[in-house]
Amino acid sequence: MAVAQPTVDPARRRPSRLQRLWAGLALVFQSRVGTIGLAMVLFWVVVALISLVWTPYPPNASLFEQNLPPNGTNWLGTDHLGRDLLSRLMTGTQVILLKTRLPNGLVLPIGVAIWGVLGSLVLGTVLGLNAGYRGGWWDQTIMQVLDALIAFPRIVLYLVVIAALGQGDWVVILAITVTGAPGVARLVRSLALDIKTRDFIRAAETRGESPWYIMFVEILPNARGPLIVDAMLRVGYAIFAIGTLGFLGIGLPPPDPDWGSMVNDARRFIYANPLAVVWPSLAIASLVVGLNLFADGLREETTRYQK
Amino acid sequence: MARFILRSLLSTAVTMFLVSLALFLLVEVGSGDITVKILGVFSTPEQRASYRAQLGLDQPWYLRYLDWLVGNDWRAERLVGHPLVTVRNPQSGELEWWAQVAGEQLRWDMEEGQIYELVRQEDGSAMRRPAPETIWREGPEGEAVFWGVDEQNRAAMWIQGKPGVAFILTKAGMRQETDAPHRYIPLRKGLLRGDPGMSLMTGRPVMATLPTRIRNTFVLAGLAFMVVMPLALLFGIVAGVNEGRPLDRTISITSLALTATPEFVTGVFLILILGIWLRVLPPTTVFLSDSDIWNLKLLVLPVLTLTAVELGYVVRMTRASMVEVMNSPYIRTAILKGMPFRRVVFRHAVRNALMAPITVIMLHVNWLVGGIVVVEVVFGFPGLGSYIYDAAIFGDFNAVEAAAMLMVTIAVGTRLVGDVIYTLLNPRIRYS
Repeated sequence: MAVAQPTVDPARRRPSRLQRLWAGLALVFQSRVGTIGLAMVLFWVVVALISLVWTPYPPNASLFEQNLPPNGTNWLGTDHLGRDLLSRLMTGTQVILLKTRLPNGLVLPIGVAIWGVLGSLVLGTVLGLNAGYRGGWWDQTIMQVLDALIAFPRIVLYLVVIAALGQGDWVVILAITVTGAPGVARLVRSLALDIKTRDFIRAAETRGESPWYIMFVEILPNARGPLIVDAMLRVGYAIFAIGTLGFLGIGLPPPDPDWGSMVNDARRFIYANPLAVVWPSLAIASLVVGLNLFADGLREETTRYQK
Repeated sequence: MARFILRSLLSTAVTMFLVSLALFLLVEVGSGDITVKILGVFSTPEQRASYRAQLGLDQPWYLRYLDWLVGNDWRAERLVGHPLVTVRNPQSGELEWWAQVAGEQLRWDMEEGQIYELVRQEDGSAMRRPAPETIWREGPEGEAVFWGVDEQNRAAMWIQGKPGVAFILTKAGMRQETDAPHRYIPLRKGLLRGDPGMSLMTGRPVMATLPTRIRNTFVLAGLAFMVVMPLALLFGIVAGVNEGRPLDRTISITSLALTATPEFVTGVFLILILGIWLRVLPPTTVFLSDSDIWNLKLLVLPVLTLTAVELGYVVRMTRASMVEVMNSPYIRTAILKGMPFRRVVFRHAVRNALMAPITVIMLHVNWLVGGIVVVEVVFGFPGLGSYIYDAAIFGDFNAVEAAAMLMVTIAVGTRLVGDVIYTLLNPRIRYS
């Protein structure tokens, strides 16, 4: 007796990861706003990569006269210690996007802003999934603690954390993680509350899967869309925060350039060299605006057909 | 609904407790050895230890947390055995602690091993007389001890026949003093009773500085709020009604750019353009006297900066909410039945569309506080934000904790108000 066998059509395999990634990016190109945003972000990523191998002059060396306006040798001028502003501006992208300096002299790939966002994603996801999926006391306790964290004005938390732990890349990462986690947790919790009512969760529970398996294998992959958009926005906030901290003089440690502290240094010599505040300010603003536009475009396109 | 409000009140109380504990512990870990900052790096370990004891830092953290929150005069009263009161000194205008003993207000001092009573006079000065021998009590280790109030507003314990040694910080440096007490409790009423303690930066009570700073910040934030609200709601509604048209695109992109630009960048740009190139406004906010807060010329740039930062956010909120309402079926019905478009917008759409932004603005106060800190630092504006910044940089924990708790209270309070307003405005919650 013939038994019907499920057939697998080799031509209709699942698309590979690369193809899916490309499909996701193609979605962004549907939106003009998203494309502009992506271009702005990619511009800075390229600048960061170039600065790894080449800058016009060494970024931390005082080679020129102080507070020069833009001229032939120093395209953007020099700062109050006679360092080339273009080189510093280019190198300033590295600490944000490409490298993290640890206290023992080691250098991690990937910048402070991105590690901070990854940290808040991990912490927020764990808390949010537990609150949303388990409910009851878990939910009450976790949300109460997060409410307390949200009640802190961010800047106060930054000030207190940095006063507590001193300056350093990892302290900034920690500060961004702690301030970002409540927002991520709330988002994940609301998504988990929705997803846990679906049938495939019932099925997994009936199979006897552990809560952690259900949370991370069944719920999390289905919540990734809004999470990715949120993460993009958060990278923007993180860059914003790093700039603000640098400006307040409590951010990433010197002497490596950081846009926020460049603005702060230039501000003190604003009468001597007014244009020096403009370049790093524009850099921060354009990168954050780019990330926001990119996230907006992504959200618009991913939710277009869900309405 | 009463249940809902009660529930949020309770949750807020728990939140505030958690926040106070977290703040205290963080600052505790963070301030490190504050005595090094105050006494300098060349101070000896003995000097530091003595100063720590005088500040009451030698006690365990949970006692200090309690002191900070609800005060320690009730604890000291049991040791002293007399009620402790605060009296304003008519000469210096500052509050002083005295013990109320049989109709007189007393403090104590030791000289050459002999305790003297200082009796408070009406004009704030004190009359000195030797204390009777009967004041000594038996201490835990058999020695004769006496708990009294000393001249620096501390409850202090002297031991008979064993005068202590203390290092006193004076303007000229450290001075070694014999006849000192052995233990100290710096008297305070606690945050909940309106006394956050002494500022280590200024050596004066935090409450002597804080009210002026709070008023300055409220003037700044209030002015910004009055500028932002009408503008933002107007732009938001205009953009929302014209969804997708060039006008909407322009407003949306501009507001996105404004939100995505950090406060300090906006501030520095405004300083550069209006203060330095055009020279029409002063680039910093320096108050020569207290009444300068009403000098509008000084306030224009800080208010403009704060406006620019807030404007974008509220416009985006209002626009999103307006777009949602304009696409809803009841608006389509109103248009289809032939109602004038202007009337549809103003009578039917705006009312519903403004509900979300108003509550969101209440939740947004937290963000505003962050903006205020940066704006005040950029312009040197003497408000709450620059106060907490300076205090945090110095490690002045009493000042940081007081200012931070105040900010948290404002943030949590407005959120509570936002919740209640939302409940009142939304019939679906009101009647459930």
